[in-house]
Amino acid sequence: MVFLTLSCWIRNRGPDRYWKVQEVLSHARHFRGRKSRCYSLAVRAVRRAFVYATKARRLKRRNMRTLWISRIAAASREHGMKYPVLIHNLVKSSVEVNRRVLSDLAITEPKSFLSLAKLARARQQEGFGVALGDRKEPPGVFSRIVTLQ
Amino acid sequence: MALTLRNGCLEMLRTCRRVNSRNVNIPVLNQMGILSPALLRHRSSQRIKLPLSYVPPTSLSRPPWPELQSISRDEQERQHQAVVETVNNLLEKEAYGRLFAVVHFASRQWKVTNEDLILIENHIDAECGDRIRLEKVLLVGGEEFTLIGRPLLGCDLVRVEATVIEKTESWPKVHMRFWKRHRFQKKRIIVQPQTVLRVNTIEVAPRLT
Repeated sequence: MVFLTLSCWIRNRGPDRYWKVQEVLSHARHFRGRKSRCYSLAVRAVRRAFVYATKARRLKRRNMRTLWISRIAAASREHGMKYPVLIHNLVKSSVEVNRRVLSDLAITEPKSFLSLAKLARARQQEGFGVALGDRKEPPGVFSRIVTLQ
Repeated sequence: MALTLRNGCLEMLRTCRRVNSRNVNIPVLNQMGILSPALLRHRSSQRIKLPLSYVPPTSLSRPPWPELQSISRDEQERQHQAVVETVNNLLEKEAYGRLFAVVHFASRQWKVTNEDLILIENHIDAECGDRIRLEKVLLVGGEEFTLIGRPLLGCDLVRVEATVIEKTESWPKVHMRFWKRHRFQKKRIIVQPQTVLRVNTIEVAPRLT
């Protein structure tokens, strides 16, 4: 058995500075060079590291979202559709599956992703059908596309 | 210089040819012998005969999407009925393998199957060992079919149950802000409550309409 209590108690009587230094150095022990041993260098490095860690928690979310988007884009190209078309038509047909789950589905459940892509395609065709109407010009409007047909 | 001369000569040749094609005889040209086949070799390819009402294929000549095939309403209804019937049969026979579901819980979406563990970064209003039902089901998939909610699937159709297994705290995360040359520094240590859930069952009732 190792009894640390006594030695800790002996240390504890002294000034608080020792413990303050050790607390900072404990975060810097894996750093490279004198930053891991010298307090005055370690303080700055640790502070920098903490600030990076804080900012990275936000950045991670952003980067993950771009990663999901590029994965969905690749998967939707497999089914002959671009990413904006897929997402826009899924939103239009009020499917609220987010990008994280969509990319998971594209990787692990290709059949389900295919059915989502088919749904988006059907919604797109429906939209086109409604926009084209009965292929006649509205009164007072002369559209070049319609007249040429 | 020679190049330009030759180009000019070719241009003249072309005009000669055009004039010739209109059956106008110019004896001077024939006498000069310009229409020898060696010189005519550099002419562009043969003219394409186009119909009178030809519209060049541009973005305006036709809509940018492929032609729509229109299905009549009755035909569509019949197809939908057939799909619903086959899926209902599959559900009754329970021939769907292991189901998965996409569940909206704790303001994020989880793709779960049964016997999954999910970690939630917050406390929930249930004790350890309580069995809860996850009601916001967005999507359920089996081997041969996928039920897509718009946006949610009905409560009587799908039933996803989970058990609260553990309630703990996250490891301490350091939140630090620092402005250089401004004597500004803030340090806070954040510990969040966490909950672990075990997904027990995903059940689908054969009540598809």
